[in-house]
Amino acid sequence: MAASGKAVLVALNGKGVRMANDLASEADNAVAQEMGLLSEQAIARRHKAVALGTEDLARIARIREAILPRVEEYAAAFFGYLGELDEAREFLRNRDAVEQARRLKTEHLVAMVGGQYGPAYALQRIKLGRLYSRAGLELRLFLGAFHDLLRRLGTTLLESAKTGEEAFQDFMSLKKVAFFDIGIIVDVMVFERERVISRQQEAIRELTTPVLQIRDRLLMLPIIGTIDTHRARMLTEGLLHSIRANRAKVVVMDVTGVGAVDTKVANHLLQTVAASRLMGATVIVTGLSAEVSQTLVNLGVDLTALQTIGDLQGGIEEAERLIGYQVLRADQRIAALPS
Amino acid sequence: MSVPILKQADVLIASIQVAQTDEELLALRDRLTGQVGEVRARGVIIDVSALDVMDSFATRTLRSIAYSSRLRGAHTVVVGISPEVAFAMVQLGLELGAVSTALDLDDAIAQLDAHRKERAPT
Repeated sequence: MAASGKAVLVALNGKGVRMANDLASEADNAVAQEMGLLSEQAIARRHKAVALGTEDLARIARIREAILPRVEEYAAAFFGYLGELDEAREFLRNRDAVEQARRLKTEHLVAMVGGQYGPAYALQRIKLGRLYSRAGLELRLFLGAFHDLLRRLGTTLLESAKTGEEAFQDFMSLKKVAFFDIGIIVDVMVFERERVISRQQEAIRELTTPVLQIRDRLLMLPIIGTIDTHRARMLTEGLLHSIRANRAKVVVMDVTGVGAVDTKVANHLLQTVAASRLMGATVIVTGLSAEVSQTLVNLGVDLTALQTIGDLQGGIEEAERLIGYQVLRADQRIAALPS
Repeated sequence: MSVPILKQADVLIASIQVAQTDEELLALRDRLTGQVGEVRARGVIIDVSALDVMDSFATRTLRSIAYSSRLRGAHTVVVGISPEVAFAMVQLGLELGAVSTALDLDDAIAQLDAHRKERAPT
């Protein structure tokens, strides 16, 4: 019973690993599709870019025997080289990724002299490139280690070839494949980085400025971070719709959290204020710090069209006054109420 | 289609319901400034909530209505500029100058009341 239970567990584990691998390769496929890398034409264009031709394939076929027995050694040397670099320590600490990368690297070296550089080969490169970028291997470190690998390959070729001339030609052919690989891996790593950046931008955009109602017909708009044209647009649109939805009369716009205000940002603020005014709402700008206001004056930005008040508290008090609220402390109110 | 002008107490209300040609806008301007004198209006409300475009000519005409009505003793409030129109106007650099604006008719009337109180001797 116990034995069979164990067997089931092992089987399940095997399945789990396979499923994870399937998922990973699915993601690799998706990246490849998104980059438009897997079409025959794209691959052909990349071959052309490095001038990889039929005579190169013939040479590679000839040197295959010299390379194949030593692929494990090369793969080990590749990571050994990285081990010498302080910067790569972070990457090498991730044992799972390194183990997987070593396996893929060995496959890569076998495929590198395999003579087939089609979509399947490209997909392998993508897989490796994504693994590097996930594990945090910097591009320049990869290039350094790859260069060292080429040096080793060149040395082997020099030993196996009859003449130096032949060795050089063989090496050049292999180098074309290597640069084809580098092209893909660099693209993948850049693509991954851009994807991270765009995901972060998305996240920041989702943190768009909330428009808060703090009293009937009184809105507050706390702005935090930098204002660019796109954000200013979103912000203004959001505010205008809130003005209508909440029937706002006064808006307090707090820019304490805006790090730098330059001419451009000031113009965005002015536009937001002008648009709000067209909808019948008064905007009070608060939180312009001493440095910011001096910068604005030095820049010659005319903010006289803005109603500004030093801090948020003052802004809210002024807004309350404009709408006709009077805020009293409880004990004051008792005294003030007609008995 | 010419814009109907309603009179409510001493306020004239013009509600623009369909897109207007330049000529029609000019005609509206002439009728409004004429009527301000005839009915001795103290306020003019122009409702533009049905407009989804506001070009430079319309903006200028609204401005001139407001300024000439003021010369004849009436305060003008433009009402119902939608968020989209407001944003487009700002982008295009169109300005209503010193013309008052309000969110809706209620607000405009409240604003005119406040204006009247300010002026009334106490």
